[in-house]
Amino acid sequence: MVDTTKNTQIYATWGRKTAKPVNPKVAGKMISKAKRPLMVVGSEILKDDKLVEKTVAIAKKGVPVAATGHSITALVEKDIGAKYINVHSLGHYLGDKNWSGLDGKGPYDTIIFIGHKKYYLNQVLAGIKNFTDLKTIAIERHYMQNATLSFGNLKPEVHLEALDEIIENL
Amino acid sequence: MSDIETGQFSIDDLENVQITIGKIVGAIEKKAQEEGVEIGPTPKPGISGLRDWDYKLLSRYQPVYTPVCDQCCYCTFGKCDLSGNKEGACGINMEAHQARETLLRVITGAAAHAGHGRHILHHLIDLYGHDKPIDVGPSNLLAPNTQAVTGIRPETLGDLEEVMDYVEEQLTQLLATIHAGQEGAAIDFESKILHGGMLDHVGMEVSDLAQVSCLGMPKSDPEAPLVEIGMGCIDSSKPVLVVIGHNVAGVTNIMDYIHEHDLEDKMELAGLCCTAIDMTRYQTDQGQLPRAKVIGTLAKELKMIRSGVPDVIVVDEQCVRADVLDEAKKLSIPVITTNEKIMYGLPNRSEDKPEDIIEDLSTFKEPGALILDFDVLGEVAPELTLKMSKIRDEIGIKALPTDEELQELSEKCVQCGACELDCPDNLPIMEAMRAGVDNDFSKFEYLHDKCIACGRCDQACPKDIPVLNMIEKASQKLIREEKGFMRSGRGQISDPEIREEGVNLVLGTTPGIIAMVGCSNYPDGTKDLYSVADEMLKRNYIVVMSGCSAMDLGMYKNEDGETLYEKYPSKFLAGNLINVGSCVSNSHITGTAIKVAAIFAQRNVSGNYEEIADYITNRIGAVGVAWGAYSQKAASIASGCNRLGIPVVVGPHGSKYRRALIGKPYKEEDWKVYDARNGSEMPIPASPEFLLTTAESIEELLPMLAKNCIRPSDNSMGRMIKLTHYMELSQKYLGHMPEDWYKFVRTETDLPLAKREELLKMLEKDHGWEIDWKRKKILSGPTMKADVSAQPTNVKRLCKGEC
Repeated sequence: MVDTTKNTQIYATWGRKTAKPVNPKVAGKMISKAKRPLMVVGSEILKDDKLVEKTVAIAKKGVPVAATGHSITALVEKDIGAKYINVHSLGHYLGDKNWSGLDGKGPYDTIIFIGHKKYYLNQVLAGIKNFTDLKTIAIERHYMQNATLSFGNLKPEVHLEALDEIIENL
Repeated sequence: MSDIETGQFSIDDLENVQITIGKIVGAIEKKAQEEGVEIGPTPKPGISGLRDWDYKLLSRYQPVYTPVCDQCCYCTFGKCDLSGNKEGACGINMEAHQARETLLRVITGAAAHAGHGRHILHHLIDLYGHDKPIDVGPSNLLAPNTQAVTGIRPETLGDLEEVMDYVEEQLTQLLATIHAGQEGAAIDFESKILHGGMLDHVGMEVSDLAQVSCLGMPKSDPEAPLVEIGMGCIDSSKPVLVVIGHNVAGVTNIMDYIHEHDLEDKMELAGLCCTAIDMTRYQTDQGQLPRAKVIGTLAKELKMIRSGVPDVIVVDEQCVRADVLDEAKKLSIPVITTNEKIMYGLPNRSEDKPEDIIEDLSTFKEPGALILDFDVLGEVAPELTLKMSKIRDEIGIKALPTDEELQELSEKCVQCGACELDCPDNLPIMEAMRAGVDNDFSKFEYLHDKCIACGRCDQACPKDIPVLNMIEKASQKLIREEKGFMRSGRGQISDPEIREEGVNLVLGTTPGIIAMVGCSNYPDGTKDLYSVADEMLKRNYIVVMSGCSAMDLGMYKNEDGETLYEKYPSKFLAGNLINVGSCVSNSHITGTAIKVAAIFAQRNVSGNYEEIADYITNRIGAVGVAWGAYSQKAASIASGCNRLGIPVVVGPHGSKYRRALIGKPYKEEDWKVYDARNGSEMPIPASPEFLLTTAESIEELLPMLAKNCIRPSDNSMGRMIKLTHYMELSQKYLGHMPEDWYKFVRTETDLPLAKREELLKMLEKDHGWEIDWKRKKILSGPTMKADVSAQPTNVKRLCKGEC
């Protein structure tokens, strides 16, 4: 079992409320329990084929995918129904209870993030944290302090192991 | 009774009495009346003067706040935790606080430009007098931003003083609203942000009009010269004088001294940041060759200093690292500060004799000097450079580590990861260190272009490893090859150019203007700029560059060894590449849009900001890109574009500006305007989708640019061209057809000819549109009509019968 909760070092103090470190097993179970999860996949997954593989495996367990940046290039033919959207716009729409979502089926309740630049995602998460009630889970290589739950800072190989464990628990 | 005029008067009977009349109340209106110019409803608007217009924009483009910090620590009530949009002790909530924080940044940026403007205007009036005519090229509309905002049609340097008075007064009023315990509505802070941005473009315009008029800079010249750029173009065997900053006022004295004393071949004069651009513009309007070289942007400052190549550094203002003196001292490089904005604690030697200053600095009695007298500066800087070059050669300055030391330093690394966590881009430094242990420094070379040279890695390292120096040392070969060309800043777009191209822009047959502006805080190196510009130029967009982006673009060459400045022509026409100039020249980009409204569409410009902005919003397909935006000035430039309805995309680091303006395309009621012909409502395409947003990568950016150039006024040919680019770029860079392409289709003639049948099938099959296959016509489906005579407006009073 991978411990993904140890290194939660952050670059700066951004507020009193910071992400609770989470282990893959718990993260997996929470994703499974969500009524309307959405996995937001950033372009950084394109830097590692294995990351794409794991992301697709999570999506195939029934988690809808929002592809931000140009991550869609690796997801478009994977039969997972990934839809492109700009992550900043997505952060805005997620806070709108009248938004019917990428698939028209209504608002989401749990948002999972993978494959994003640390500094960029933390900003998007700052908006979601402060202005919505959504639960956010960062299963990134870096600790995302503005998520509700986040992995700590991980080495690449440990991150891949952690993703395997999430897949097992979905 | 005769009219009183401004100026200085003596009265014959009164000895030693001189009367100066500065301003005359009602003078703008009177002068306009005399010239038959109609003044619009808002000359010199106060903070609330354009609030209604701002509210219109903000109802479609809502502020999206992404706080950098959840607390407010403005006053001693705090720190207050505002997380979850809570209120602090003064009653302000998170939304309003974030808007206030953004306002502070915007007016800081605007003040930087306005301060620059006031400084150079004073300086030039001292040299050339109040009556020096403004001469910026073959234009009647000399100052589009100034005229649209203030109603003033400046003709002389003296006229610009009144413009600056207005800008400064408004900036003070805006700054006052930052004080704790006042404004509580985020939306009114937002309106103030747009006001600050608008003022910024006026301040910038004043700066550039003044310097272009007086300093022999290119005047709307498409053939402005090509200039050498890059760290590799510096001949370090000669004495090297490096100038850093944004305000060329004092530097021109240095350049004159070098020229007059025939020192041009005996030393190198090069610049970093926008002073560099303006140095290369100085005295080139008659076809003369530029007298300076450009090293690059802020991202090259630390690298250049640490190379040990400069013999003397002169700084002026704005984007200059705060540690220049400390860094320079370590390498025995004297620093001269020349502007009150940066003094580094150095003694003021402005009144001293040049030879005394040179003696003290060359014997290291002082590490530098503050010199505010530009005649003294003009002599000291070059003479000191010549002297220091010999002295520093004799001392034997060792700047960067040796190859052996590189390997030893790599071994010192304990792989703790502190550098990577602190690196703004989380660059893989540990990997480079691991390879360095085995004498493989290629991974440091890989870091060179990605690294913005902030030096935070050095500060973070618990082992005091000089990471940045290691990157620089390992990349010496690359640095030597960093040689390119930048077209020198040409100044504003002239009236005849607008007459020629305006119609194509409004109808969309020129697909749009992509204005690539701003700083060097790129997410993935400088080459991204080249890739974006080249792609859009190939597609016939007009690409306009300025400031740091203009420099970095010149650093790359194609397979034929050409930079884009050499490859593409530089007129204001489709498929041309333009560099308007330095940071303050950004005002010419908004000025171009204003000119299209004023010259092509014959809209009254004076004090008529709302109507002009409304015209631009609905008709001119222009998008700003500030891919490496880092500064407060970039925030104010973007806000000034936004008030005119020009959208701006910033790179991912731009998310740290903490606020964006993003619309909701799925909310149909937000995408309606009036048809000014009869006041009826008409639906419009959801473009631009945003006024300010971020993109994650250039692959995402490119289709965004094409899509957000679409405007309601496009004719079918224009829409077809824009839609083609949007679809092709989405397929090329995102690997798929964009989901919303059909929403921009009004009629079959909007569809790209080559794919029309295929797309009609998709419209029928996927979207249920009715198609007449015999005539290949759309019978039903589109939500909008194609009507080129429609007059889209957001402003009800501009509709027929409303006034």
